[in-house]
Amino acid sequence: MSDLLEAENEEQALEQLHELGCTDGLPVVIPTPERVNQCVLASGMDGDMLLGELGPAMGNATVEKVATAAVMAGCKSDYMPLVVAAVKAAASPEFDLSELQATTHCTAPLIIVNGPARETCGPVASGYGALGPGHRANASIGRALRLCLINIGGGRPGISDMAIHGHPGKFTYCLAEAEEQSPFPPLHVSLGYDESDSVVTLLGCEAPHSVLYSDNADDPEDAEKLLYVLSVGLANLATNNAIFASGMALVCLGPKHASVLARSNFTRESIQQRLWELTQFPNAQHIRYAGEFGKAFKDDPDGTYNAFKSPQNILVMVAGGVGLYSMVMPNWGGAGHQNRAVSVKVESDFFCAIPGLSQRGEL
Amino acid sequence: MRDGYNIAKRNMPVVALITEDFWDQGQFVANSLGMPELPRVMLPHPVAGLGEAKIKLIADDVIEGILDSFVNE
Repeated sequence: MSDLLEAENEEQALEQLHELGCTDGLPVVIPTPERVNQCVLASGMDGDMLLGELGPAMGNATVEKVATAAVMAGCKSDYMPLVVAAVKAAASPEFDLSELQATTHCTAPLIIVNGPARETCGPVASGYGALGPGHRANASIGRALRLCLINIGGGRPGISDMAIHGHPGKFTYCLAEAEEQSPFPPLHVSLGYDESDSVVTLLGCEAPHSVLYSDNADDPEDAEKLLYVLSVGLANLATNNAIFASGMALVCLGPKHASVLARSNFTRESIQQRLWELTQFPNAQHIRYAGEFGKAFKDDPDGTYNAFKSPQNILVMVAGGVGLYSMVMPNWGGAGHQNRAVSVKVESDFFCAIPGLSQRGEL
Repeated sequence: MRDGYNIAKRNMPVVALITEDFWDQGQFVANSLGMPELPRVMLPHPVAGLGEAKIKLIADDVIEGILDSFVNE
């Protein structure tokens, strides 16, 4: 059981949490024992069950502590399976969370939700403005993970989170794939899961960068031109991926751009392959502009290198409203596992619905 | 700091070089890893990109402290 703080009223409790550095700077829902217990109960797991350790503080992410963060973030209890899955992914050794929290790069964990849990544990928005304000599940699930990284993982700016600037996605960064609008199989199916599974994929990445492409169905080179423009945003010389020649990145295709590619018979795999080819650059460019990192290719000034180790390191998903935009999210590329994405199946079998609770809009 | 911790765990002598801006973070990591007294020497911040001449000046400034740490801590 976590230690309890005491306050005369919720207003004082909020000030206390701010002063203790337990918030993200915005007001939080006060995590009273009753509210936290309801979220623990909804998870279907014991409160002292350990989901993993979160670095760099190496704090124990128990279900109770995660539920506390979920309450503070404004989550409905329905969201708990997604919050739990995101925390499990962050605690996975392959995610290198300690390094991710400590780096000077701005990276923030982006939560991508696939499968039926998009609705049963949400709804998690995947359409217009999915990464913007106005979607409670997106806003609070991503925020719950951030509050876990602060209060369990110990990530505090300038002390243990050394991001030079950070980015707004460090408040919350969560969306679902628009599977119904996508001409491709869902992302989690391409990653090896069953279509009936629900999966959270976590990728530490930069803020999204908008990619404009005005398509033209009469242009036989339409798909190729779109892929070229995407590749420019994906791994230009200002990105870590192009300088470190490592890491992963996400291409979040708007449904219209996805249809342009599908019309030319591109699959997710062939999109990844072509983007990988288009992010191959001359070593001479790297040697000239990459500073200390330029030594990597100094013995072969006439050769070329790929910004990504393999096509699979370029994740492709579909989300957003219908228009001329897609988004790209390059990433850091550092640490032992080179900033790879980690997917975790959502365990909704444990989930316990509390009759009437969600309908009342509580938690 | 984590590199210093990993070397210390192998029972090898180590002094971590931590820049001024990362000093508090280094202590945070050292505490988290259970080695709060891990020897360390402060460098100015930032070190990257200063060029060889300035790096040598910094090295001249800190070398005694590094050697002292190896001998005395």
